[in-house]
Amino acid sequence: MELELKIEDQIHKLQVEFKEGHYHINLDGNEHLVDSSIISDHCLSLLVNGKTFTVYLAEANGKKYLSVAGEQFLIEETTSENVAGSGADSSGIAEEPVAASPMPGKVVKILVSKGDKVEKGQGLVIVEAMKMENEIKSPVKGTVEKVNFKPGDLVDAAQPIVEIEPEA
Amino acid sequence: MLSWKQFLISLTGSKVENLSNVHMIQKILIANRGEIAVRIINACREMSIPSVAVFSTVDRNSLHVQKADEAYCIGNPPPLESYLNIGKIIQVTKKSGADAIHPGYGFLAENPEFCERCEKEGIIFIGPNSKALRLVGDKVESRKTMTEAKIPIIPGMMSSGKQTKGFKEAAEKIGYPVMIKASAGGGGKGMRVAWSPEELEKGVEAGMREAKSAFGDESVYLERCIEEPRHVEFQVLADNFGHVIHLCERECSIQRRHQKIVEETPSCALDEKLRAKMGEVAKKVIEVSGYNNAGTVEFLLDKNKDFYFLEVNARLQVEHPITELVTGVDLVRQQIRIASGEKLTFTQNDIQQRGHAIECRIYAEDPENNFFPSSGKILFMKEPSGPGIRHDCGIYSGCEVSVYYDPILSKVITWAETREDARKRMLLALSNYTVLGIKTSIGFLAAVMEHPEFIAGNTQTSFIDKNMSDWKGKRKERRFVNEAIIAAAISSSTRPTSRKRLQGKQEMPSPWLTLGKWDLGGI
Repeated sequence: MELELKIEDQIHKLQVEFKEGHYHINLDGNEHLVDSSIISDHCLSLLVNGKTFTVYLAEANGKKYLSVAGEQFLIEETTSENVAGSGADSSGIAEEPVAASPMPGKVVKILVSKGDKVEKGQGLVIVEAMKMENEIKSPVKGTVEKVNFKPGDLVDAAQPIVEIEPEA
Repeated sequence: MLSWKQFLISLTGSKVENLSNVHMIQKILIANRGEIAVRIINACREMSIPSVAVFSTVDRNSLHVQKADEAYCIGNPPPLESYLNIGKIIQVTKKSGADAIHPGYGFLAENPEFCERCEKEGIIFIGPNSKALRLVGDKVESRKTMTEAKIPIIPGMMSSGKQTKGFKEAAEKIGYPVMIKASAGGGGKGMRVAWSPEELEKGVEAGMREAKSAFGDESVYLERCIEEPRHVEFQVLADNFGHVIHLCERECSIQRRHQKIVEETPSCALDEKLRAKMGEVAKKVIEVSGYNNAGTVEFLLDKNKDFYFLEVNARLQVEHPITELVTGVDLVRQQIRIASGEKLTFTQNDIQQRGHAIECRIYAEDPENNFFPSSGKILFMKEPSGPGIRHDCGIYSGCEVSVYYDPILSKVITWAETREDARKRMLLALSNYTVLGIKTSIGFLAAVMEHPEFIAGNTQTSFIDKNMSDWKGKRKERRFVNEAIIAAAISSSTRPTSRKRLQGKQEMPSPWLTLGKWDLGGI
């Protein structure tokens, strides 16, 4: 079985084979012999080439949350077709010319108005979440095209607050 | 001087002469939420005092509601409608028959109006008297008092302002860089450094907004920014009969956004002589303020070991457990006993530091994204335990972390004979701590614990900026990426696991296999 897993923008290719009670996993060209045992709903015990690891796992919204020895990971599975798609997506997100809050919060202050020229990295809007003020910076150089909220408004995560027309 | 054993006996057994004015509190309402509410509820239970929780509508399922003896809803999620709603909290206190309120930290803990209201209503406020609270809570007023008492303070403005005018002149006089601070502040909210007049204007404006939203008072003031300082504070206990003792220091220099995330005691920067000197000044601060109950006197300690009084935190501190572990004194119990009118049953000479304790605060936040708060459902958690590991916790598997409140989830505290042992024990505890579904600071804190500068004890308040700003890059070098990927692949595969195999069961659907359907790449 072949798999592609995306972990923090990095894609890893795996071949997984189960024979004689063990997983034979080829990860990015390296072979691993893995004994796996389910401890509980959220806990898996692994013996990877004889070394012992306890892994905790939960899933939500199509993502896997894993923890190994205190390190945390967010892993998504991709198929070959949407690898290309997701690649384009992720670069698309980076370039998307909007200011949005990474989490739900309240708009405290809009620092720009329509028609303003802004530099990449310039503060566009201040959002308060969990009692902390956070300045949302412009991802691009360009002109303010639209301001969708006013101070005091509540915003959801990823909702565009300020939209920028990028400079060509 | 008492032996350690005698000392413990003196903590647990009240002397007869102390009982004359004592009216042991009958029932305590905890006007707070999260880990600190749980901590106080546990102390109540240990003392056989019934406890009353209050909660906002979004906190119905919070741990403090489940742990208390009684719980009442006090309003909508925004703090002003619930945890800051004085009228409602007083009303519930009376309805429940509680004769005392413990305010925890944050929310109403340092609000003199609330404290006064309790006094007027005949409810015991487990904290200082309202007069002392008003004095130490007003940073400008307390600076004046401390100047008169010859307590060393940082050069700065003797008045606060609500308008940006006047700040520029004051800043010139004090000398850049200056620190902008909220007059009613605490917890780093509204606090900013300005290195130039341009930054000053922007900073004062933002500081005022944050102060207004956090404390309902936009006043800010300026003081000189001490470079390369350490944040060293002294825990004090003062009974209602004028007995004041200190329980040594806590060093809280590791901060992000001017908010502490790692604390330890003893401080590497103090020797016996300096500790005794600072402790005496801390006691004097408490005495001249007419302060009673538990409090903390904060100092900045500079490179030359000169120290300056910062402020009194008139509450139980987030980091109080490290003091409890090295001194053996339960501060919440002491607060309740002092508020009940008991005398302190031990003296300064009875207080000894034993071993070393470190606390790491676990926040729901993303250390890779400027510590931006993270909210959502905790899908699964497993807490650390073991010898010398304490976990003060407000969360559980399946609970929701809401956007309305401070994102502190829990605190891991370790104790051991030496600093190095306590540090290694903390690393063990953090590596055994799993929180899935939201971002937390656990991995970041482990990296702090492993940093050579932390190991060396070079903990100045600039530690995070100086040593950890490239952490995001280092994160790519995490050690267990391969194992995580392998586990994810196995959980995605439809093969039976070895255990199922050994048990001879055929393709039993396990949670690992039924968690989700995956679109697998060509098999």
